[in-house]
Amino acid sequence: MLFSLRELVQWLGFATFELFLHLAALLVFSIFVALRVDLLTTVSWWLVFVPLFAADGLSTYFTAIVSIRLYQEGEERLAVLRLLWVLTVLSLKLVCEVLLCQKLADYEQTRDPLYGLIVSPLFVLLQLLMIRACRVN
Amino acid sequence: MDVHGVYFIWLGLSLQFLMSMSLAQRVLLTWIFSLVFLIMLVLKLDDKIHWNWFLVFLPIWTFDTILLLMLIVKMAGRCKPGFDPRNAADNLKKRVWYLVAILLKLAFSLLLCARLERLTDIWLSFICIPLWALLIGAMVELGYNVFHF
Repeated sequence: MLFSLRELVQWLGFATFELFLHLAALLVFSIFVALRVDLLTTVSWWLVFVPLFAADGLSTYFTAIVSIRLYQEGEERLAVLRLLWVLTVLSLKLVCEVLLCQKLADYEQTRDPLYGLIVSPLFVLLQLLMIRACRVN
Repeated sequence: MDVHGVYFIWLGLSLQFLMSMSLAQRVLLTWIFSLVFLIMLVLKLDDKIHWNWFLVFLPIWTFDTILLLMLIVKMAGRCKPGFDPRNAADNLKKRVWYLVAILLKLAFSLLLCARLERLTDIWLSFICIPLWALLIGAMVELGYNVFHF
C-alpha cells in the first residue's frame, strides 16, 4: 500500500517468512483475546499471549539458522549485523508483551506498572526503526 | 480564482507530493502518526487525559484518510487519456484489495472506539471480524509472495 513488500523487508530487516509468521501469530492472538474477553473470562492471560511468545521463539530460531548459514558462506559482517538487529527488535517486543501480560493478569490487584512503562520498549523500537530507515534509504 | 479553486490546487499539490515521496519520507510519515497515537493512547490509558476515544484515535483516522486519498487518486489515474492498459488488470485487483483493506481497518477502529466509549455493547468477537478478514487477506498476499517466488 504505502510500502512495497521489498521496502518493508529492507526496512524492518525481517525475511518475508518471518513477517508471515508474526502476522499468523497476531491473528491467533486476536482470536484468543476475543474469546478471553467474551466467553472464557477465567482463563489466564499468559495462555492468551502464548501465540506471540511462540512467534518470537520461532523467529529467533529462524534468524539463528539464517545467521549461521550466512557465517558459513563467509558473510560474517552481514550475519552478525542481522542477528544483532533481529534480536534487539524481538527482545524489545518480548519485554513489552511480558509487561502487558503481567499488567492484565494482575489488573485487579495493582495499578503498577503504568502503561507508559509498558509501552516504553515500543518507543525505543520506533526510534531504532527511524534510524534504520535513514540508513536503508 | 475563488477559495475553492485555491483549496483544490493545494489538495492536488499535496497529493502529488505524497505520491512522489521517497522511502525515508514515507517512513517519517508513518513514524510520526504512530508516535503521536502511542503517546495519546498511553496518556488515555494512564488516566492523564480524559478525552473521547474517537479523539485519541485521531492520528489513525488522519493516516487512513491520507492512504485512502492516495489510493483513489492512483485509481483515478486509469481514466487519463494516455493510460497504458498492459498489466492493468493485476494492478487494479491489487488496488481494490488495498481499498478493501483500508476500509476493513477503518471498520475495526470505529467499532473498537464505539465499544470503548460504551456506545454499543456488542461482543469483541464481532468487532474483531474486520480485523481477522484483514489479517487473513494480508497473510494470503504474503504467503503468495513466500511460496511462489
